[in-house]
Amino acid sequence: MADPLIAPHSSLFRKYFRALFAAAVVPLLIAGGSEAWFGYHDQRARLNDLLNAEARFAAVNIQDFIEGIRDQLVWTVQLPWSDDTGERRRLDALRLLRQAQAVENLSLVDATGRERLFVSRIGLNRIESGDDHSEKPAVIGARSDRIWYGPVTFHDGSEPFMTVAIAGNRSADGVAVAEVNLKFIWEVISGIRVGRTGEAFVLDRPGRLVAHPDISLVLRADEIAQRPLQTLRAAILARPGQAAAGQDISGTTVLAAMVQIPGVNWSVIVKQPIAEAFGPIYAALWRTGALLIAGAALAAMLAYWLTQRMVGPIQLLEEGVARIGAGQFDHRINLATSDEFERLATRFNEMASELAVSQERSERISRLKRFLAPQIAELIDRTGDDSVLDGRRVEVVVVFCDLRGFTAFSVRAEPETIMAVLREYYDALERVVSAHEATLINFSGDGAMVLVNAPVAVSDPALRAVNMAGDMQRSVQKLLAHWRALDHQLGFGVGLAMGPATVGRIGSEGRLDYSAIGSVVNLASRLCSSADDSQILIDRVTAQAVRSSIPLVELDARTLKGFDEPVPVFSAVI
Amino acid sequence: MRRRDFIALVGSAMAWMTPAGAQTMPVIGYLGSETPERYSSRLNAFRSGLAEAGYAEGRNVAIEFRWAEGQYSRLPALATDLASRQINVLVAAGGAEVALAAKSATATIPIVFEMGGDPIALGVVDSLSRPGGNLTGVSSLSVEVSRKRLEFMREVRPGTNVFAVAINPTSPTSHSQLKNLRAAADSLGVELVVLKASNEQEFDNMFTTVHETHAGGLVFSSDPYFAYRSQQLAALAVRHAVPAMTQSRDFPLAGGLMSYGGDFAQSHRHTGIYAGRILKGEKPADLPVQRVTKVELFINLKSANALGISLPPSILSSADGVIE
Repeated sequence: MADPLIAPHSSLFRKYFRALFAAAVVPLLIAGGSEAWFGYHDQRARLNDLLNAEARFAAVNIQDFIEGIRDQLVWTVQLPWSDDTGERRRLDALRLLRQAQAVENLSLVDATGRERLFVSRIGLNRIESGDDHSEKPAVIGARSDRIWYGPVTFHDGSEPFMTVAIAGNRSADGVAVAEVNLKFIWEVISGIRVGRTGEAFVLDRPGRLVAHPDISLVLRADEIAQRPLQTLRAAILARPGQAAAGQDISGTTVLAAMVQIPGVNWSVIVKQPIAEAFGPIYAALWRTGALLIAGAALAAMLAYWLTQRMVGPIQLLEEGVARIGAGQFDHRINLATSDEFERLATRFNEMASELAVSQERSERISRLKRFLAPQIAELIDRTGDDSVLDGRRVEVVVVFCDLRGFTAFSVRAEPETIMAVLREYYDALERVVSAHEATLINFSGDGAMVLVNAPVAVSDPALRAVNMAGDMQRSVQKLLAHWRALDHQLGFGVGLAMGPATVGRIGSEGRLDYSAIGSVVNLASRLCSSADDSQILIDRVTAQAVRSSIPLVELDARTLKGFDEPVPVFSAVI
Repeated sequence: MRRRDFIALVGSAMAWMTPAGAQTMPVIGYLGSETPERYSSRLNAFRSGLAEAGYAEGRNVAIEFRWAEGQYSRLPALATDLASRQINVLVAAGGAEVALAAKSATATIPIVFEMGGDPIALGVVDSLSRPGGNLTGVSSLSVEVSRKRLEFMREVRPGTNVFAVAINPTSPTSHSQLKNLRAAADSLGVELVVLKASNEQEFDNMFTTVHETHAGGLVFSSDPYFAYRSQQLAALAVRHAVPAMTQSRDFPLAGGLMSYGGDFAQSHRHTGIYAGRILKGEKPADLPVQRVTKVELFINLKSANALGISLPPSILSSADGVIE
């Protein structure tokens, strides 16, 4: 019984919590999980569209930058070279430098590939230098394709430049070759923002950084540091049209999309940190997490409340059952929960009261059985009335019996033998007494006293008593025959008398016996004492009562101790 | 509100509550070769660059200034003095002398320089893309374009073949500039009169020599000493009626004829941005030396008229700023 209340408490709580968790949290988990899953896919598709659109927008801006320079250059190669156009072309070229800030140098080459004019922001201008440029890749490239974009070169290992050459419609128009400072793309590229922190950058064909909002990354021209960007580009190229995840130079994981610019073969890439891009998903996950925690807390609270509602009545019931079990049948379980618990408590209370009744009855039976035949005890119990045991005066038949020669036997025999003989003897007597619904009042040594018609009234007590005496004789004589064979010389005599006697419970609080008091008791006792072996001596009252049914032999009247006159004695023949 | 924003808000609120001058505020040491007055337009540009990087003097950054007041010999001592203080970054702006003085004063405190000329040739850094060490900065194109000034002057004064050039012999770039100018004079087919001036007393004499040699104009080599004295030089040019050209737009603004040089507003602004980025934790070694992208031609039409010069269309169409 060590802490019987604690263990079920925690176990019930756990059961309830599991059940409620399954009911509340699992659906939440499923809902949240599917929301996150579908949200992720939707967001991924949305980001794909957004980043692709931003990449196209950025590419258009970069392309505008390049085309702006090209458009400026086109003006310088619209007329064929002649000797008188020199000054006008010089003004045009200076104006071009003014218009196109990114152009650092411009040289104009005539149809023969000779440099006719060179203007520069930094270096000295040259007029009619006549240098042969016909073998330069820019001039050859422009002649064959009309427009030629040179590779990106980094001046002093730092500043990105590109040569753009453009040829006129006719070969006589010559070629314009411009050196373009690509740092000017910074203004274009830094104006592009994707979301809050997303940005765009440009890689040239070999994968070198040409433009980036942080111009110092471009100027550093660090190809090793730029490798993640090339990896990122490769990832996008592997799945064209899809945004791809990768890392930027700072190691941030980004989602990026790309558009190629034809002609220069540059890649314009827009990127957005994945943490920002998937911000809404993360927010949804946080919400789901919060709901999960709230759900779990609610489940725990409900489980606690329900358990408390269960455990209180259960404890009361348990305690009540324990007390009833321990014999407190007057204990009542008080529960007013108006549910199954209350019904159960009522049942327990009913059980307790029935147990009380049953125990009282069994106590009484065991009390009665001490001196009544079991049938009589049961009868008294059934009637529920033990007033039959109250003292009163009633006509009874008193039967005494004892063994002849027992004292001599008991001196001679071993105690075990004596006990065995007495056990057999009383077993036989008891069986007979019970069979005749008589009452074994007491036995001492080899003698016993039996009462008929008290405490329970029976019909024709005299006849019943004589028949019983006969049965006694027969039973005991059988035993005697057996004992004689064992060389125990014993006999058995019975005496009975009928008459009024006072019967009832006699004794102290601790020891209570049912007995009869009156001269009839003495008479029966004396008759027994004077009976020989196998003899049943009967007084006159009994004899008169049974004369018609039992053959009797009238013996000589005997003088018995305690009786003044000789008493008529009859012997029942059986 | 996002958590990061919230933390930032709390952080800025705490910064706001901290009393001014608390030790948490970073300190910029600023080394200048002249006086705050001569630097004022450059300081404005520097401060706007700092603001672009998120810093404002007195609010979240303190600036310690040291001025050499034109005496370059004082620069090393001033630089050492700054380096011995608890400064987070040393800004050495306004010339190679300042950058070199800062470089020799400390090898640990990050230095952001602003200068004309080639930082590699002058030994300030080893590489533009990876400056290494504790220096980075901005280089203007003024020194490279000295010869362009001679070309412009020749264009404005087509009738003459003799031009005077002003050189400050104490400048670390004077040799290379003179060499460039001589080569340019050769290819332009003009003669040079080289005038040397390293202090203000020599200025007056310089302008009278222009007249004496019948030079068509006076072209100043790129030198901070001249650039900071644009107003003084412009006044002298007006007084002596000499067509002259310097690197700084301050000169035509003050009445001189022309200027051609790197955009100092851009270069000083970038210096401010770099100082801010270093305060935010970037290393100078990771910040490449930037060269300004813009070279600007300023002309003063009023001065041209006063000098009786009619500016050719090539100049007028090329000008970034025309003062009328």
